[in-house]
Formats: sequence, C-alpha cells, structure tokens
Amino acid sequence: MSRALALEVIAAGKSFGAFRALDEVSLRVKPGSVHALLGENGAGKSTLVKGLIGYQSLDQGQVMVDGREVEIAHPRAAQKLGIGMVYQHFTVAPGLSVAENLLLATGKLPLHIRWGRVRAELSAFMDGAPFKLALDAPVSGLSAGEKQKLEILKQLYLQQRLLILDEPTSVLTVQEADEVLGLLRDMAHRGEISVLMITHKFGEVLAYADEVTVLRRGRLVAQAPVAEATHDKLARWIMGEPEAGESAEALLDDAATRRLPRAPGSREARLEVDRLSVLDDRGLPRVHEVSLAVHGGELVGLAGIAGNGQRELIEALSGQRSVLGGAIRVDGLPYAATRAQMRERRVFSLPEEPLYRGCVGKLSVAENIALRNFDQAPIRRLGGLVSYRAIRAQAQARIAAFKVRPPLPQRAMASLSGGNVQRAVLARELSEPVNVLIAANPVFGLDFRAVADIHARLLAARNAGAAVLVASDDLDELLQLADRLLVIRNGRIVYEVDAASADRAVIGGHMAAGH
Amino acid sequence: MSELLRERALVLMRAPGSFALAALPTLLAVCSALAMFSLFLLAQDVSPLEALRLMFKGAFGSSFAWANSLQRAAPLMLTALCVALPARAGLVVIGGEGALALGGLAAGSVAVMAPSLAVKAAVPLMVLMGALIGGLWIAFAGMLRQWRGVNETIGSLLLSYLGIALFNHLVEGALRDPASLNKPSTLPLPESWMVGAMPGLEVHWGFAFGAAACVLAWIFLRWSVPGFALNVVGGNVNVARLVGLPVDRLVIGACFAGGAAAGIAGAFEVAAVQGSANASLLSGYGYAGILVAFAARQNPLAVIVCAVLVGGIGASGSLLQRRLGLPDAATLVLQGLIFANLLAWEALQGRLANWQLRLSSLGARDV
Amino acid sequence: MSEAVVSTLAIGMIGGAIRVGTPYLFVSLGECITEKGGRVNLGLEGILVMGAMSGYALSYLSGSPWIGLLCAAAMGLCMGLLHGLICSLPRVNDIAFGIGLMLLGTGLAFFLGKGFIQPQAPQLPALSLGSFIADPRWRSALSINALFPIGVLLSLLLHWGLRSTRPGLALRLVGDHEGTARALGYPVATVRIIATAVGGAFAGVGGAYLSLCYPGSWSEGLSSGQGIMAVALVIFARWRPLGCLAAAMLFGAAGALGPALQSIGISSGYHLFNAAPYALTLAIMIASCRPRQTLGGTPGELSLTR
Repeated sequence: MSRALALEVIAAGKSFGAFRALDEVSLRVKPGSVHALLGENGAGKSTLVKGLIGYQSLDQGQVMVDGREVEIAHPRAAQKLGIGMVYQHFTVAPGLSVAENLLLATGKLPLHIRWGRVRAELSAFMDGAPFKLALDAPVSGLSAGEKQKLEILKQLYLQQRLLILDEPTSVLTVQEADEVLGLLRDMAHRGEISVLMITHKFGEVLAYADEVTVLRRGRLVAQAPVAEATHDKLARWIMGEPEAGESAEALLDDAATRRLPRAPGSREARLEVDRLSVLDDRGLPRVHEVSLAVHGGELVGLAGIAGNGQRELIEALSGQRSVLGGAIRVDGLPYAATRAQMRERRVFSLPEEPLYRGCVGKLSVAENIALRNFDQAPIRRLGGLVSYRAIRAQAQARIAAFKVRPPLPQRAMASLSGGNVQRAVLARELSEPVNVLIAANPVFGLDFRAVADIHARLLAARNAGAAVLVASDDLDELLQLADRLLVIRNGRIVYEVDAASADRAVIGGHMAAGH
Repeated sequence: MSELLRERALVLMRAPGSFALAALPTLLAVCSALAMFSLFLLAQDVSPLEALRLMFKGAFGSSFAWANSLQRAAPLMLTALCVALPARAGLVVIGGEGALALGGLAAGSVAVMAPSLAVKAAVPLMVLMGALIGGLWIAFAGMLRQWRGVNETIGSLLLSYLGIALFNHLVEGALRDPASLNKPSTLPLPESWMVGAMPGLEVHWGFAFGAAACVLAWIFLRWSVPGFALNVVGGNVNVARLVGLPVDRLVIGACFAGGAAAGIAGAFEVAAVQGSANASLLSGYGYAGILVAFAARQNPLAVIVCAVLVGGIGASGSLLQRRLGLPDAATLVLQGLIFANLLAWEALQGRLANWQLRLSSLGARDV
Repeated sequence: MSEAVVSTLAIGMIGGAIRVGTPYLFVSLGECITEKGGRVNLGLEGILVMGAMSGYALSYLSGSPWIGLLCAAAMGLCMGLLHGLICSLPRVNDIAFGIGLMLLGTGLAFFLGKGFIQPQAPQLPALSLGSFIADPRWRSALSINALFPIGVLLSLLLHWGLRSTRPGLALRLVGDHEGTARALGYPVATVRIIATAVGGAFAGVGGAYLSLCYPGSWSEGLSSGQGIMAVALVIFARWRPLGCLAAAMLFGAAGALGPALQSIGISSGYHLFNAAPYALTLAIMIASCRPRQTLGGTPGELSLTR
C-alpha cells in the first residue's frame, strides 16, 4: 500500500497590489514521483509553494490532496495533511541540539518532556533513517550539508507523505547532492513519499525528476514527463520566446562567448596572501594559514561548501574582518585594507548579499555609488564639504552605463530589486580602472539576464588586466568563469587546478572529503 | 526627456511631503501623551485643563517663564547632542548625565586649581576642561564597544553611574570647599568668572552656545566629509569597512563629540548657574536629553526646538507643585509618557515610509 | 587588620551577598526569560522602581506585605506586557522603548510614591536559619528573607523548565531563530510578549524586595541601577538561570562591600565603595564580551549583542 500523497493544484492565483505573481497555474504531482518545479527568480515558484503550505494564502485556486479538496490556511494544516516543506534558508534553530530540533518539528510537544523516552524514540528513528546525525550535536556546529539533511530528516520524522524541497542542493557538494536526491528518489519510487522539488538546475531535473512543470512570470509554460524534455527545451521554456536580437541559447552562452583566453605575459602576482589566519563570528579560528596568489589578468575561483572559511577569508581580504595572523600583499607591498591603500592600489570588492553587505539601504542610490570617492574631488569641495550636485552627476552617468533600473539617483537603495542593487554596486566598484577585484557569490539569487551581465563584467575586468578572485558556492559558475580553481575546506586550501584540466567530480571530492 | 521631468516632479512633490511625514508621528505622539497625562491627572482628581494651562503659563506664559525654560533648554540641547551624534554612527548612548557631572566638576576644579586666572582665560578653560573630560568619558564607552564589544547603551549608563560616584566622592572629599557645610560643593567661582546673561535677555550665554553647537552639528552631519562617512557607518557598518572607512575612529570620535557637548553643558551649569560644582548639577538633564534627542529624531536642528519644549515642561513643574499640589515628579511622568509614545508611534512612521515608497514606485513604473 | 575585623568583613559580605543579591537574582531571572525569547527590556529598571513603590504602598494600605508583593508582581506584569506589546509593532526598537519605560516607570513611581516616603509599611518576614549559632554576626547574616529561597527555587525551576517543558523549548526556539519558529507555526510575537510580561513580573518582585525587605523602606533613591545591571549580569551568566544565581550572589557581595567596610569603620571612600557593583559590571562585561563576535549561548535573535 502506497503512503505517497497525490497533490493537485487547480488555477492558483496571487496578486501583490497590481503585480500578478501567480496567474491560473495548475500542477499535478503523482503519488510516488519526483516532480520538478522550474523557473527563473520571480517566476512564481515560491509564491505557489508558500500558498501550498499555508505560509501565505493564495487569492484563487483549489488544492486537492488524494482527490479531496482541502483548505490550507496555516503551515500546521499542511503538516496535518502530510505535506512537509524543506526550506532553502534553513529553518533549524542553531542554538538548539539536533534532538531538540527534531522534537520541536513534531509540533505536538507534551507539557513535560521526558527526555529519556524521547531520546529512545529518536535513536530508533535515526537507525532507520537514510542519513544519520548525532542527536546531541548543537546545530550551529553542523556543516551546511548536514543542516540540509536535518531539514529532510525533520520531515521524515514527521512521516510526511509529500516533501516540498526548495532549491535543495544549493549548499551541497556534487556528491552530497547525488546522495540526497538519489535516496529521496528511491523512497519516492518505493511509494513512501512524493517529492516536489523547486530548482533552477537543469541537470537535477533531467537526472532525478519524473515530471517537470515550468513557470514563467507567474504563468504555467509547460508540464511534461522528464523523458520528453531536453536541456534545450527546458532553456527555451524558462527563457520564453527569444526577444529581438537575442536567442535563449545566445543568452545561456553569453558569458562563455565573451570570454577570451588569458593574455599571456602578465604574470606578476597582484594579490598575494601569506599564511593568513582569520577568526569567525564566534571567535574560533576559521581560516588557517592560507596562502594564495592571484596574478594580473587572471580570474581565480575559490570553491568550497558554504561554511568552510571562504566567507571569512573574503571578508578579511576586503577589509570587513580583522586578520589574526599572516600577511596580505597587493602589488608586492603590505596591504591592510585601509581606505588610502584601497584607492592607491585600486582594490575593489563585490560582497555577497549586496543589499546587506554591499550598500547602505537607507541612503540613496547616488550616495551609495559615491561611497568610494565622496572624500575626493570633485565631490569633496573646498573646506571639506560634500557636493551633492557632484554626487548626483556621477550617479547619473554610472546608472546609465550600468543600466540600473529605475534610473533615479535619489531613490533609496533598499527600494531596488536584487539585480539592480547588484548593478548599482557594480557601478560603484567597476567604474574606475581595477587592479584587484574580490567577489563573493556575485550572482546569488539573481535571474538569468543579470547573471550573464555580471559574469561578462567580471571577465571584462580580468581581460583588462585585473587580478580577480571569485568565491562561489556554485561550482558550475566557477568552472565556467575561472582560469584557475582553488578548493577551500575547513579553512585550508586543499586543492588547486587549472580550469582547463579541471574535473568536476575530483573537485567535488576535495570539497567534501572529511565530511 | 519626460523621464527627467517626471523625476524632478517627484522630487519636488516629496520634499515638503517628507518633512510633514517626519513631523506627523511626533505630533501624534505628543498629543496622545498629553491625552494620557490628562487621564492620569483626572485619576488624581486634578483638572487636566487647569494643569495644562498652568504648564503653558509656567513654561511660556511670561518673560520670566521663558527665561526659565530657555535656561533649562541650554544644557538639554547639549546633552541631546550627546545622544544624537553617536546615534548617527548607530549607537544608543544614554550616559549624558555622568558626562555632564564630570564636565561640571572639571570646570569647577579650575577654580580650585588656578583661582588667580584671568577671566578671559578662565571661562574658555572651564569650557575646554568640561568638554575634554565629558568627551573622554563617553569616548571610553565608544572604545569599549569598538574594541571589546561591550554594548554601548549599558556601558555608557554604567560609566555614567561611575562618573556620578566619582563626582560625589570628589565633591564631598578632596575638592570640597570646607566652608560648604550643608551642601558639599567645590570652591565657589570668583564672582567675575560667572558667565552672564545675553544682552536684553535673562538667559545666560550657554543657550547661544548650545544652539550654535546644534547648528554646527547639523552642518557637520549633513555636509561634511566625515559627517557623510558617519552616516555610512550608522547605515551599514559592513559597507563602511568594505570601502575602507576608519570605523573605530569615526565611532569613537562621534562619542567624544557627544560627550564633549554634555561636558560643556555641565561646565555652563557651573559657570553660569550654580557657581560651583555640587549635587544640584545632578538634576536629570542627562536623562531628559535622551528624550530631546529621540523627539528630534536625532536631528540637531530639531533638537533646538525640542529642547525648548522639554525645558518648558521642566520649568512648569514648580508652578504645578505650588498651585495644584502635584509632586514635582509630574513633569517626569509627562516626559516618560512622551518618550514612550514617541517610540510607539515609530511604527506609524514605518507605515508612512512604506506608503511613500509605494507612491514613488508607482511614479517610477510610469517612467 | 585583626582577625575579628576580617571575619566581620567576611560575614558581612556573605550575608550581604544574599541580602543585596536577592533583587539582582529576581531581576536577572526576569531578564533571562525575556532575552531567551529574543528581546531586551532595559525598562526593567523602571519596573523595579514601580514594583518597589507599589509593593510598599499596598503593603502599607492593606497591612499585609504579601499583598504588596503580589501587587508589585502584577504591576511588573502589566509594564512588561506593555513593553512586549509595543515592541511587537513594526519598527519599534526594544532597546529604545526600554529606555522610555525606564524614564516613565521612575517618573510614575516618584509621583505616586510621594505620599509613602514617611509611613512605615509592614515588612516581609525573615527566616532565621542561623538561630542555633551563638555568634550574633552569623545569626544576623543568616537571617534570610523568604524571597531568597523562593528565588533559588525559581532559578532551579527555570533551569529545568527551559530544557524539559513545552513552553521552555518554545521560548528558546523563538529567541534562537524567528524564521524556524514561524515555519513551525509557533506564535513568535505572542511568545515574546508573554516572556516580557513574565520577566516584568520577576522585576516587580525584585523591586518589592527592595522596599519590603532590604533596605526595607520606600524612597526615591532606593534603586541604584539594579535593573540595568541585571541586563549585564544575564550576559555574564550566558543566559543560564543557574549562572544568574551565581552572578547575583557575586553582585550582592560587591554591593555589600560599602556597608561592610563601614561596619568596620572605613567610611572615607563611601561613594566609591558603593559604586563597586557598577565597576564590577563593567569589568565583567569587558571580560566576557568580544568585539565583533557573538558569545556562545547568545539567543540568536537578540539585538543586544550585535
């Protein structure tokens, strides 16, 4: 007897003000199957799923579970029906233990928790689970992959019959992703669960899903068995009909075609890191004596699973985190990330999550663009006063050059969309000649067009002779961009390879070893 | 082309609107605080109308009342700056009372250390000493935050308590004038050192000094390069570090400037009102300054207006006490109510900002 | 120093640790509950003063100190509730509103308490634990108020409850990660409001201790910042109720330093010795905080430590 749940959504709709986020979308997940929900950012995937699990109600539409119409007004209601959500941003409490997180997930705690009995139950469950975690471990000490597994374990512990996975592999290594998705697919095919998987990775859809539904701008574009889908077909569905002058394929390959082979000869090391050690937010050493060098005209990719010290390393290089030991040199001279040194040696940064780490949300776009040079003429006038006229003039020119939308310099930065925030940061960091560029997850959460645009600009900086260091959680992005790849694990550089001879599986192995 | 015009129109539309939008929650907060205060008075069997009338009379009803209010506003402007300047860097500093006490003590000790100084040197020296000691005291809270991670709100208040203890210790000990029997004080300033009233007014020069300091602070924060940098630090410290701003120096500098303002307030209280450093200095100007700064939304120009109003509330206390028999803490109750209401109405400000954003994004979508 | 003087001093400090430390214990347990839920209430100082005033007034008016105590707790509950409700509104900063509540509470207490400065209200009874000891100094040091054992019991109860009861786990979850709590369907705002209200009640009791036990009268200078120091104390205790108990005793001992020194005839640095708890608090914060790092055990949603 199959436990797996059959889900059907009929003509779901949702509006935010005048914006139609979801328009007459229908979807059918067959019991015991893996169903992929594919689409760009803002295509309506999250809106649909949030409605499905009662996190944010839909305006119109019916939801049928096992053929009966149901009302899901609250996450608890979805949970009672057997629908469990595995979020992209972890919904585990880092300060609590694995056991406490699992227990809390059940939602029906007794007033007095008898830990002896609860623990026995949990260990029994863990023995039969597809992956194992230590019950008493504090969640804050788990790796990103382990947290993702805990998310899934939570739903399995609840004996949910439909698992909704939101970008489940974004923090996993190649091997971990294969393991997790493979195990879930096997469970589905045994009839224990159904799976609805939100993703933007074609590879996962083709390898693990049975059926795929594609959304674009809130509308249903296609629903088909995966056996009938191809890479090109998926791309066309996602991107829509080609606009004038560009085809979907052209956009997909955009960054690749603009990429030139590295100019030979420019071999002097621009950015050198010598046995650098850095502490993390909890005061524990997270980067251990890392040494690396990036040469002019070279783009070096820093690969690693999130949480292995790349954030701390990048923050130390861009001046956001103090250094415990070791040295940084730029153009052969010691570098302490002071404003004067940044300006003299032309060191620029593209931090991750640009709205929170790259700009001041309450200041205007114009002021944000001026952050690098507000203390220089012409913005700095005689007497040490700031000229807002000059700030505005500079902003107008750069907004036009970097296509920031809307092109209004006085708008508060926080009111811009993610892609435009990143463009405004680019406009600040890449308008002047660049010697060293340090970037972290530069396209995280951005849509297709913005990704292509930003990749092109990174490569343009490198082609112009800058030393570019890009850290990214997305190995495919790095394989596409970098001339050379470094793998960081547990705060150490453990592997180095030229992009030409790089092997995805080998790199993945180095990222994961020891986990 | 039309894009540009529309943008201009949007800016013009928003400029006066945003001022009104900023003031609206403050006005509503004051109104609701007055309403609550009236209810409170009713519960005490006091006619709220009579009380409010007396309060206005005691604050602004006569030239004497005005002088009293402005006299109180003088230190309030400066202690409010002690909150507003660090607030630009994202800090909530509430240790102004201690900085004021130590600033006053420093000024008073000038008379002890160098009683034979010429007037021309003495008064600037007193102000300078007050600024220095007050500034260092609050800068220490900033240092503890930047270098040790000690929360500046708690740190500055503890430092304030410590400063007051030190003040009492010295005023009742090493710096005490043996002749001050009932009320321990430092040696009284020579008569000629006392800062007098502004011409034609019964208000001492400290008021002009405070107002000038507010204007200067506003210009500094709005137009100067370090002021711009301070805004960035307060807006997002990660970004400030990203673009290489000297965050620690800016934050500690802002704390020093704020503490210096509070210290100067103490110095003027000694040099223009008390004539020596004694316990009368500790009459809550530091705490009321927090209210002034929050009511002014940390804007130094608005601080001037709010300081006069809060000074007026303080000035009306004695009339309430005499005529209606209300305890002098009545003004404290009103101040507390205004403070609590201001913060509660902050929620409305958020909603207004959202509306404003939606309005402007509607305009932008047309573009 | 002679042996007798040293022992007088030591006994004074031990007795003082309990006597002076008890209000710290209650206020810090209250703040611990509040902060476990992810909010900071700096207004505990105002609540403490209001609790002291209302407890004293009701004890005087009703003739029963226990009614006064109850009234102080209820007053604290209401003021905590106010803080919890207002801070649940969007954009209201809990630290700033706490400052507001501190000013409002002190103002109200001074206003309403004016008439109760003179009369003597009935006090809460003390338990003479040391009646079998001959030494009168020990006997007076061990004459412990009933509230102290209650406070010890409460901290044990809290220690157990935070781990092994549904409300305890829900509270920790809400304070640790708001998103998770929401996703699991826990009413985040409600939990925080309740936590702040209960925390306020604890602070109210702490205030009543000041006016009904030690020093045992109502005046405007009664509280010397215990409410604020409790916030620092909770950080030092790393949000552990048993840690709060130990820290409260330590602070009590520091607070007893001034009176103890006076009792052996040292009174010259009176103001400085009385400021010992502030210096201790500051020293402890300097020692236990680290720049740009979160401490182990910090509730993830707390605005105080970032």
